[in-house]
Amino acid sequence: MSMPKGHKSEFGYATVTGDSGGMDYRTIAEKMTEDGHKMNHATARNIFLRAMNKLASPVCTMYLNEADGKKIDQTARDPRFQSSMIELVSEIYNIDGKIDD
Amino acid sequence: MSDTLKLFFKDVGRHNLLTRDEEVMLSQRIEKGDKLARERMINSNIRLAISIAKKYQHRGCSLEDLIQESSIGLMKAVDRFDWRRGFKFSTYACWWIKQAVRRHVASHSTSIRLPAHAKGLLWKMRQYATDYEEEFGIAPTPEELAELLCVNLKTLNAIISSAATPISIDARVGYRGSSGPSEGRTIGEMIPDPRPDPGDELDREKIASVVRGALHTLTEREEKIIRLRFGISEDPSDHAQLPITSSELKRLQRLTVARGVK
Repeated sequence: MSMPKGHKSEFGYATVTGDSGGMDYRTIAEKMTEDGHKMNHATARNIFLRAMNKLASPVCTMYLNEADGKKIDQTARDPRFQSSMIELVSEIYNIDGKIDD
Repeated sequence: MSDTLKLFFKDVGRHNLLTRDEEVMLSQRIEKGDKLARERMINSNIRLAISIAKKYQHRGCSLEDLIQESSIGLMKAVDRFDWRRGFKFSTYACWWIKQAVRRHVASHSTSIRLPAHAKGLLWKMRQYATDYEEEFGIAPTPEELAELLCVNLKTLNAIISSAATPISIDARVGYRGSSGPSEGRTIGEMIPDPRPDPGDELDREKIASVVRGALHTLTEREEKIIRLRFGISEDPSDHAQLPITSSELKRLQRLTVARGVK
């Protein structure tokens, strides 16, 4: 069977972690559980994607004017979007971990 | 080829080459101050001067100038030739001719004038590089060349960079349209600007402001997970808060202890 055409994120998992020590979902879940937010790896992934959705939504609206939920979901899952977010979010968060207004 | 040069070549063909005995006889007369003998000696060997000059064509000097310089070299050789040594005149003259032509090419082919010894060094360097490549199949490194030429690497690098042909930033390149050489881009237009594109910068600023707004809407859990996923630590200097799990921390501690014991 031939490989499906298109980007991998459209057909399966294609994940991006930061170069400076980003974690996998299982480790994130373990760390979050230790910190009092009990969860498993799937929940960690769902929360991460929900957060990505929140970031993708205004970006899609800015570029596509009328962005539907499907398009936002697609953008949020796209590893290229996630890579660009790593750079941007790292820049936005200042050294104290607060949002740099 | 210009008309003058054509006429000159035609005229050169009229003079016959000299035999060894004629060369000796003419040299003896030249020694006694015979100007006609000198002229004949020069005219008979001018073909040698032309053939050497032709080898230095396409190096930034016109053929007329090269022939003129090689003729000056030939005259010098005629004046200094010593027939008693028993060599043919051409054997002696070709070095004087080559020297005159090389000196001219060295001082006129580029906008930056290099001293004759530097040009000579470059000449040698290219020769060595070609020989080295033929023998070993790879180009020699600058260090190897410096060692072969018995010069300082810094000096060699300075000479190589000075010998580079300078070009005008306003020179036009590429396709020449029907309207002539004024079409096409200048070299200056093709040099990339290292500064970011103002349009891209503006886009980036817009996205950053939108994302900054969106980050305010994240819950504590979401923000924390994004940080862990992207590897954005809250305080990189705080090692107690490193984004690793306690089990991983225990494993690292065990490993450290084990290494310490060994």
